[in-house]
Amino acid sequence: MASKFGLAGGIPERRVRPIWDAIDSRQFKNALKITTTLLSKHPHSPYALALKALILERMGKSDEALFVCLNAKELLYKNESLLMDDLTLSTLQIVFQRLDHLELATSCYEHACGKFPNNLELMMGLFNCYVREYSFVKQQQTAIKMYKLVGEERFLLWAVCSIQLQVLCGNGGEKLLLLAEGLLKKHVASHSLHEPEALIVYISILEQQAKFGDALEILTGKLGSLLMIEVDKLRIQGKLLARAGDYAAAANVYQKILELCADDWEAFLHYLGCLLEDDSSWSKENINAPIHPTKFVECKLTHLTDEVFDSCVSNASAFVQKLQGEESSNSLRNPYLAHLEIERRKYLFGKNNHDDLIEGLLQYYSRFGHLACFTSDVEAFIQVLSPEKKMEFLDKLMKNSNALSAVPTKALGQSITLLKTQELIGNMFRLSVGELEASALQMAELYCKNLPLSKDLDPQESMHGEELLSIVCNVLVQLFWRTRNLGYFVEAVMVLEFGLTIRRYVWQYKILLLHLYSHFCALSLAYERYKSLDVKNILMETVSHHILPQMLVSPLWADLSNLLKDYLKFMDDHFRESADLTFLAYRHRNYSKVIEFVQFKDRLQHSNQYLVARVEAPILQLKQSADNIEEEESILESLKCGIDFVELSNEIGSKVLTFNEDFQSRPWWTPTTEKNYLLGPFEGISYYPKENLGREANVRGTIERKSLLPRMIYLSIQSASVLHKDNSEINGSLADPKTSTELRTLLERYAKLLGFSLNDAIDVVVGASRGLNPFQAFGSDVIDWLNFAVFLNAWNLNSHELEQLGGECMHGGWHLVNSLLENYILGKVRSMEPLIHSPQGDFPMLVQIATEPLAWHGLVIQSCVRSCLPSGKKKKKSGSVDQSISSLSYAIRDAIQSLCGTLEEVAKWLQDQINSPEDKKMDNLVSSLQRNGQGEGPGQVLHLLETLMSSPNETVLGNRISEALRSWSPVDVARKIVTGQCTVLSEFCRICKSKIKSLRALKQQLAQV
Amino acid sequence: MTTIRRFCCNDLLRFASVNLDHLTETFNMSFYMTYLARWPDYFHVAEGPGKRIMGYIMGKVEGQGESWHGHVTAVTVAPEYRRQQLAKKLMNLLEDISDKIDKAYFVDLFVRASNTPAIKMYEKMVAKRKWLGCQFGRELLTSYKSAADGQFYLENSFFCHQIILTVLNWIEGI
Repeated sequence: MASKFGLAGGIPERRVRPIWDAIDSRQFKNALKITTTLLSKHPHSPYALALKALILERMGKSDEALFVCLNAKELLYKNESLLMDDLTLSTLQIVFQRLDHLELATSCYEHACGKFPNNLELMMGLFNCYVREYSFVKQQQTAIKMYKLVGEERFLLWAVCSIQLQVLCGNGGEKLLLLAEGLLKKHVASHSLHEPEALIVYISILEQQAKFGDALEILTGKLGSLLMIEVDKLRIQGKLLARAGDYAAAANVYQKILELCADDWEAFLHYLGCLLEDDSSWSKENINAPIHPTKFVECKLTHLTDEVFDSCVSNASAFVQKLQGEESSNSLRNPYLAHLEIERRKYLFGKNNHDDLIEGLLQYYSRFGHLACFTSDVEAFIQVLSPEKKMEFLDKLMKNSNALSAVPTKALGQSITLLKTQELIGNMFRLSVGELEASALQMAELYCKNLPLSKDLDPQESMHGEELLSIVCNVLVQLFWRTRNLGYFVEAVMVLEFGLTIRRYVWQYKILLLHLYSHFCALSLAYERYKSLDVKNILMETVSHHILPQMLVSPLWADLSNLLKDYLKFMDDHFRESADLTFLAYRHRNYSKVIEFVQFKDRLQHSNQYLVARVEAPILQLKQSADNIEEEESILESLKCGIDFVELSNEIGSKVLTFNEDFQSRPWWTPTTEKNYLLGPFEGISYYPKENLGREANVRGTIERKSLLPRMIYLSIQSASVLHKDNSEINGSLADPKTSTELRTLLERYAKLLGFSLNDAIDVVVGASRGLNPFQAFGSDVIDWLNFAVFLNAWNLNSHELEQLGGECMHGGWHLVNSLLENYILGKVRSMEPLIHSPQGDFPMLVQIATEPLAWHGLVIQSCVRSCLPSGKKKKKSGSVDQSISSLSYAIRDAIQSLCGTLEEVAKWLQDQINSPEDKKMDNLVSSLQRNGQGEGPGQVLHLLETLMSSPNETVLGNRISEALRSWSPVDVARKIVTGQCTVLSEFCRICKSKIKSLRALKQQLAQV
Repeated sequence: MTTIRRFCCNDLLRFASVNLDHLTETFNMSFYMTYLARWPDYFHVAEGPGKRIMGYIMGKVEGQGESWHGHVTAVTVAPEYRRQQLAKKLMNLLEDISDKIDKAYFVDLFVRASNTPAIKMYEKMVAKRKWLGCQFGRELLTSYKSAADGQFYLENSFFCHQIILTVLNWIEGI
């Protein structure tokens, strides 16, 4: 309003413009200078102050910015007569938002709207504030006021959306929908509707109340013409009819859709579902619905009589045949796949045997077998076949392999499909080692033979037959799993690196390599490959599962820190900006997107990976600073001593978790983050569940336990540091009962999470430390048990309750932890082979023990030492205290001795591997590929690839491919692996040495006591 | 086998197999969501069996007066579903919406100068078009082309070509 008169916030615009220009060009100092001048002329202008606050905030001076903002706010409130313009308010709003004080912005707008009740601009600003705060009820009230004021359709819809949000994302009961319906009805009666999105919202309100008839009436009435794309309208109509139970009419509608778009698979599924009166496809989607639904199409058939089923199916068949007949280009897959779906339903109903379905699949192959999507198209149909029938289908399919297309690219596609179908059916796991080797060789040969087809392709285009090398890798990894012959594993790596030499963009190879390198403890290489995938923005939520779990237990702290920081930044940025985008959808009248955006934000906020990262990021910081207790304490302080994380742990049980990771691209041997088949013995597997299902309890447990750590570390440090200062002065009673009680409660919880009562858990660790049940009782929770032992000792230092609980004598807690850590770590180190000989093994576990429980134990020691040290300010201690300190220092000395000894042995083991000559290690890798001359064992595939490519013919392969082939060097790959492993070993060694150094320093300090 | 429907937020969680392709850019969230909030009709996804994402197109309608036009911001197809003319189908849809709903005058796109496969595809696509069936259409095309000729330096620092895909409606007086 003010700008109408050339004023901005009451100040002439020409004076304000240079400030904005300077802000836009990020010249903040200059902007501040001009603002200061402006303020000297308009010292009481809230707008000038708001500008100053904005600049200060941009300069990173948050406290000053907030102060100035509050000043501006105060002036605004005082300013009885002058303007209360949106420009000032929105500027303040920006700053308050950036300072995380949305409530202050809201109160400014609330005040302004109170003063100028009929100002639409201000009301919109207020509405926007409530959108940012997700205050759906207040949004609704404000929108209604605006609607009443000007009667515009959009404000009514804003109110209706706010009501819908209360029901879908808030605590609003479904009765509210009736109110929304009433509002819309009244408006339609007097003004009709003018926006297609308004109609969609109206229909969804009715649909949510199961008023399908009313919704249909509106859709087919005059308002229906708002939807200009016929298919969109038909889709809504079909859904409403089906949900109303009018399946015959719904089937007709879907038939119409198929007549318009014969390739619409979903429409066909609905069509068939409606014919068969099956409502299973209309189940409600909720926030934690899996991102990738199971491939199997759910259907209900039992309610149908034979006759009804027959008649429905014959109608469907006739229609599908008609679609097939009308299809002239021969490229539409839908009508043929539809035929398969009908055969599947017939089979499930018991109307036909497997043979018809198999026949259908064979026909589909003859038509579309050359397409890369063949296997994913037919996956759901193959799943219903019994294992024998699957094999029968495969046999029949393989007979086709002699009748390949005359077009070379098609023939190659068909051959690849045959191989992929074998993989899909699990046949690869039935083959003998010899057969597998032969199959891998055959694929490699096929790859080489068809390389000339890609001669003229642009280097950025996918090459023909690229998938073959992925399948070869899968087979070689299986051979490794079966035989434990490292050669196969190295060969799998080589084959993929060979493929990347020819074309460096194949992300499928990169993902496989990433997992192979991770398994080979060359995590730095795995991370390189991950980075080359350019995973950013939303892909961090769906794709980072490939690397994050391995990094969390690795010594590559700097890389992990970046990974976590980037991911958390992305998520937090989205949460911050999401509301603004929701408001954008409101403004552009795309109401259905409003609901979608809010629901999506909820989904991401409940992401299990986000919660894990939020817990792991501070734990990483704690790991990084564990050798320096002062640094650790300042980190703990910044984490509010872990209190918020304990709250998270308390809440996690009842929190909805979403699983947004996309596991489709994971390799067969690790289909989910929790599973790695290669770590166990060989077993025949025919199906690798790549779904997120069933992970929930596991993830919940991890978050629940891990989020207790910061607090337990904090309390342990406290417990160890207060212990001798005043202990005897209070005559043997607890020095700090609060710490002790809380730590005990958390220990009880920790034990419970491990499945035990506190007493029983103590028995388990005591037993393990005495070698009664060496570590078997810990199962896969070794780290948690060791953590438990460490915190138990810390608690005992203060409470001395351990002996009462039947555990140990006063300093027995130290002995308990020392022996557990020593036995476990040394047991592992002494039995582990060098990494270059044996992938994975216990290396990640070793890293985790040294950087977690051992590090926390180190902190307890540091805390004890600190409190033992004489300090000038303290009173001279009494004789009994001296005695107690001296007894404790013995215990601490022993602990330091034990940890140092253990870490020194680990460091030596690491150093030996780092120092081992590179040539020797490379030789180890290369020799694992040397063939034994009997036409078996690893190395054959690589040999074949290299032989066929040894003298590339440029005219056949083209310049680019030939050149790439000439640059191929397996020795370079071997060197890369060696270097990669060395990086990881060196990082771990550095961590161990730093701990040794810090422990030695403590020992020296203690010697002075 | 292809259900083409409006893109929704949850699709962002499912398009990894498409976006891992090195020529497909994964934009920041506000970029996608701004398109969804402003031009939901121009953001479509093609879905195959098992609700697998085959590819998607995002675009917008913009411009003043005679340059009111549809714009293809991104179009991409997963490797598994390439060579089935899916990109073309998606483009046709966007042209249809530009034409019928928004009465745009033409549809264009920018393509990275380094993305030779895409440039070849668009060239083929453009060559096959019948420009409104008459010479006048060709002239119109030329004038649009000359206006937007050369290379564009975009914010994301890629050199881009502008390609006018189709001319949809007549502009009086040209």
